[in-house]
Formats: sequence, structure tokens, C-alpha cells
Amino acid sequence: MSNIVTAGPATAGRTQDQPPGRRQRKYPRVRAILAPLPWIGPAIVLIGLVVIWPIVVMFQTSFQNITADGINIGSAGWRNFSGVLNNANLPGILLRTVIWVAVVVGATMLISLGLAQLFNQRFPGRTVVRWALIAPWAASVMMTALIFRWMLDPNNGAINILLHQLGIVHGFNTNQSAWLANPDSAMAWMIVVAVFVSVPFTTYVLLAGLQTIPGELYEAARVDGASLWETYRRITLPLLRPAFFIGLVINLMNVFNSFPIIWEMTQGGPGYETSTSTIFMYNLKAINVGQSAAMSIVNFAIVLVIVFAFLRMNRRTLQEAR
Amino acid sequence: MKSRLMAAAAVSAAALAAVAGCSSSSSTTGSNSGSGSSSGSVTLHLFGADYGAGTTNVSTTTFWNQVATAFHKKYPNITVDVSTVNWNAYPDKVKALIQNQQYPDILEGSAAPPYAAENLIYPTSQIISQSTLSNLVPKFLNDTQYNGTAYGVPWTTSTRALCYNKAMFSKAGLSSPPTTWAQLQSDAAAIKSKTGNVGFGLPLGSEEAQAESLLWFLGNGGGYLSSSGSYDINSAQNIATMNFLKSFAASGDTEPGAGSANRTDLWNSFAEGKIGMVNCSPAIVPIVKLKGAVSTSDLGVTAIAGKNGPLTQTLGVHDDIVAFKSGGHAAQIKLFLDFAYQDQWQLAFNNDYDLLPATQSGDQAFGQQNPVFSQYMTNIANSVNYPAKANWTTVENQIKQTMGQVVTGSPSSILGAIQQTASTASS
Repeated sequence: MSNIVTAGPATAGRTQDQPPGRRQRKYPRVRAILAPLPWIGPAIVLIGLVVIWPIVVMFQTSFQNITADGINIGSAGWRNFSGVLNNANLPGILLRTVIWVAVVVGATMLISLGLAQLFNQRFPGRTVVRWALIAPWAASVMMTALIFRWMLDPNNGAINILLHQLGIVHGFNTNQSAWLANPDSAMAWMIVVAVFVSVPFTTYVLLAGLQTIPGELYEAARVDGASLWETYRRITLPLLRPAFFIGLVINLMNVFNSFPIIWEMTQGGPGYETSTSTIFMYNLKAINVGQSAAMSIVNFAIVLVIVFAFLRMNRRTLQEAR
Repeated sequence: MKSRLMAAAAVSAAALAAVAGCSSSSSTTGSNSGSGSSSGSVTLHLFGADYGAGTTNVSTTTFWNQVATAFHKKYPNITVDVSTVNWNAYPDKVKALIQNQQYPDILEGSAAPPYAAENLIYPTSQIISQSTLSNLVPKFLNDTQYNGTAYGVPWTTSTRALCYNKAMFSKAGLSSPPTTWAQLQSDAAAIKSKTGNVGFGLPLGSEEAQAESLLWFLGNGGGYLSSSGSYDINSAQNIATMNFLKSFAASGDTEPGAGSANRTDLWNSFAEGKIGMVNCSPAIVPIVKLKGAVSTSDLGVTAIAGKNGPLTQTLGVHDDIVAFKSGGHAAQIKLFLDFAYQDQWQLAFNNDYDLLPATQSGDQAFGQQNPVFSQYMTNIANSVNYPAKANWTTVENQIKQTMGQVVTGSPSSILGAIQQTASTASS
């Protein structure tokens, strides 16, 4: 008795033709869709619990009036959103966020391009250097930020001692040595730390991309007499585009959401002068929980817009990578 | 394509079903206090702040457990279950408990008015007996009032004074501590030029900006409230005070970055002998003893300098106990609190943490045991406390986050923004 059945192209959604004598199953299409549910069910539940439920509660909270003591005193309508969007500190914070993301991501991508190119060459000790680059990535970002904060201590931080010996810093416990007290120098140092922790991952993404470029192309370019810069611009960069954009999108999301670095080094202060929108959202929690939820939604929307805009613009590039 | 859409719909439906199941079960969680009421045995839940290991190395959890064990011996059918959390995490943890409606029976460390405004806590008269009530220091008890009724029980208190390093003062050629702002400025400048150390430590960072600001406001006849009892944060005197602090910080005689400096770091620096003067409370004494760089005889304590003379009123802080109604255990709570407010426990706690008792008899005994705290104890009678308003937490948090900016920004607009929040946030 042959049970071999064939599914023709026109039977999408319909189960195979049943052998004669079998009862027809009802709702074959629905059954086909629900069939994998037992296998992906646990993952769906997990996503529901960890991702979807907090988002739902966040939306609910943003319409509530919750005092700083945690007491819910009723609905706030749209007042939380108007409160956040009319906050006098917000324009400065948004501008600072744009600068923070642009500078950190820009510097990271540039430095990683160079480092990836370097790591692609053979030189003695390459393995050791490649492994060493993993350290800033593997270390907890909060720990790195804490250590940098102590190294920048105005009185006896290691960086200040070094700079003092080099003659750049003239005295301890002065305005010059209190790097994190001045918003501008604090932002500069935090950008340095952010680039420091982002470069390893990006370098490895770009290195992987570089290694997919076939060597024959370079040989052909050499034979044709192309200069180094022309080779880089015409062969390496275009072929590196998929890996570059993956690194770019991931860095954009991570840097926008970055919390530990700024929190540990300045807590967004003094006032909100070193806050990005993520830090501001967290600080708002102490003043008005509903407004903090509203700010979370604003941040969420910004991230979604950035990511979708990016993915759309580079649809073709990413399709090439498949 | 259609089957993909249906597949997506099925998956989302499954996810939402899981979510709905979880969220509905959590929203009906009521208070978890007072379980086990069979045959008259009651469990009280006490949630408090962890003040640290203390000078006698008794942690706050250990302390409360000692009280609970002794109490259980006296009243075998009442058990007290204790949990504490350190001060850094305390506001968030309490807020989470309240938001989830998991009210403890007894909460130590929070102010009463916000909960009284929502009718969540017992009035003081229902949770302690008359004799304990009349033994409390009236000044602090009055601060727990909401609409004329007292709702909390002050547990521990402290006041502020000006601490100065006598050795550094003599090295800078200064014979006595400053009493006015002008003297304070010149003394700080002298310390900086003659010894190279920081003259005055000014903590306007987010740890306790509300305390430091109030000490300076009081020096110019200002404060957080007007004489009629409503918020008046951006009064002319307060703005003038902050303008003075802005110029003081700019002169370089305070530590750099005063707008983001925190009290704990400055007290540590003072104890290491790197700062000449700082506003302090009794809790600085164990830090000084631990660091060992400033001897006890060099630790000078005097009244805080005001604009034209020393402050007659200083900041008095009190951590209160409130009791939530949700468990319905007023009688048992009364027994426990009457037990805990005996002198023996007040002295044990406050000797451990170098804070001041909240009871009159406790204060008397404590003063006899610790003459070094005499300045602080004199200050109790004339102390000014934070506003006892239901929205004080909101205002206080905004002060903590934004007051530091007066050092570089515009005091009038910063104080104006805080006043705006204070008068519009629900109270």
C-alpha cells in the first residue's frame, strides 16, 4: 500500500491528497499553521513575558498619574506626554543625544575600519593582539565606566597622575583635574569610554566582512595598476558594505540606549547637562513615574524610526549579503 | 502570503494569551502582610532602611531581629518578620512595594504625609500608647502631621552643624571658626592659599542637595516654605543665597565641581584631612575615627555660619515609622512599637549609628553617654525640618537632580522650575 503522496504546486495550504478511505481532516490550513506551535511555543511565551508584557505595561503606565512615592492616583490622559515634550531641558538633551550617537558611532566605525584592516594583515603576534582586543568587549561596561571614573578622580586618579607627570595637568583638586565636573570635558571622556567598549565588536564584524572578499580581486587590481587608495575605495569598501551596515545599525541602537557609562560617570549631571534621552528617562522616574514611561515611549519610537529607516534605505545592500 | 499572515496572527494571539494570563494574576495581588491569623497568632512585616554596619558592627537587620526576638519572648503569638535594604536602593524598593500594593505592616525610613494623603496609614494615636506618645520629642512628631493629625512616629533623628579641622585652621593662621558668610569665604581662601587644601566642601550633587541647600537658605532667612506654610522656593532671599554660592564656588575656595559633589565623598575627604570645613551631622564621627587622619581633638564642631551670624535654626532630619492599614493589625503594631521605643533600644540603635534618639528620655540618657554630641543635641529644639507635604518626594527629587546646576547656570530659573513643580504637583 503506497502512502506516497505528492503535493502539487496548487495545493499550498491544503494538505496532501488523502489516500482513499481516510477521513478528511477539517481546517487543514489552520492545522498546518498551528503544527509547529509546540516547538516554538516556549520561545513565544518567553518573548511574550520578557518583551511584550513590559511594553504593554509601559504604555499603560504612561497614561497614569503616579506620584514619586509610587501611589497611583488615577489617569493622567495625555498630560504625561505633554509634560515631557514641554520640559525645558528636553531640547538640550535631544541635541546632546544626537551628538553622542553621531560622534561615538562615527568614531567607532572609522577606528574599526582601520583596526580590521590591520588585523587582516599577517604580522607576528597577530593572534595575541586579536585576543587582546576582546578584553574591552568582554568586561562589563559598568565596571569599565566605574574604573574610568576613579581614574579621573580630581585628587588621586591614575589618569590625572599620569597627565600631571606629563605636565598637562598642573595641580590636583583643581577645576582642570575635575574632568567629570565640567559637562564638556565629561562628555568628551564618556565618548572615549563608549568608543573604547564599542570598537572590539565592530572590528570583528568588519574583519569577518573583510575575510569574505576574495583575494583574486586584489590581485586583479594590482595587475591593473590601481593605487592603494583606489583599491580600498573601489573594491574593499563596496564589498564591505553589508558588514559595515550591520555594525552601523547595531551600534546605533546600542549607543542610543547606552546607560551604564553616563550613569556611572556623571549620572547625567550636573542637572541634566550630560544626560542623553535614556538617562533622562531614568532620572524622570524619581520625579514622575508616568512621565518616565512617556519618555520611554518617545525613546522607543526614536529607536524604531532609526532602525526601520536604516533598514529600508539599505534594503538592497542587505539583500546582497544573504 | 496569506498563510504567513495567519501564522503571524496565531503566534501573536498565543503570546498575548500568555501575557494576559500573567498580567491579570499580578494585578490582583493584594498586600501580603499579616498572614497566618489562625488561632490568634499574627505575623507583622517590618520593612526598613539599612543604615550600614554601624560603629559597633551591628547591621540594621540584626538590630531589628534582636528587637523582634525579645518582643516574641514577651508576646509569643506575635512574630515580626524583618527586611531591610540599603539607603541607595531604599527609595526605589519602597516605591516598587507601594506601586504593587504590597504594603508592609511597619515601614521605617519614609515620611508620613504622602501615604496619609491617600489614606493608607494609621494615625499615630492608633499605633502607639499615650505614654510613648508623650515621650516623643514634640518637634519631630509635629512634622508627621497631615491635615492636623499626626500619622508617623519619628524613630531616629539628627541635626547639622559645621565641622572644621582645628589643625588646618591653626596652620592657616585662623583662631576661631567662621560665624558669617563673609568670614567663611575668607577663611576658606586662607586655608587654600596657606595649606593648599580645599577650604570648604560644598556638596550640591544628587545625594543630598536638599539638605545642603536648606542649610544655606536658612542662613539668609529663607527656607523651603514661606511663613504661611506654602512652598516659596524661589523667594528673593533664596535666589540671593544661590547667587552667593555660585560666586563662592567660582572663586575656587570650594572643591572643584561643587555642583556634582556628594556629601559622602566630601566627608571622606574631610576625614582624610583634605578639606578644612564641611557641614556635617554626628554620623561623620565614625568616618573620622576610621580614617585616622584627623584626631578627635582636632575635630571642631560649631554652629553653621549664616549670612550675618551663626544659624539659630539648623536642619533637623528624622526618619519615621509609619504603619499601613491594609493588614489590619493596629493592636499588635501598637504592642511592638511600645516595646521598640523603650530607652534600651533607642540607645542601642543611636549609639551604633551616631544618630540621635527620638524620645525625650532617650535623648537625656544619650546626652549623658555621649558628651561629644552636645552641639547637635542643643540644635534639636530649634531645628527646621523638611516640609511635611504630600508631594515633598517629587520636589526633593527635583532638587537633588537640578540644584547642582546653580553653580554654573542661572539660580533664578532653576529655583523657579522647582517652585513650579512644587506648586503644581499633586499634594
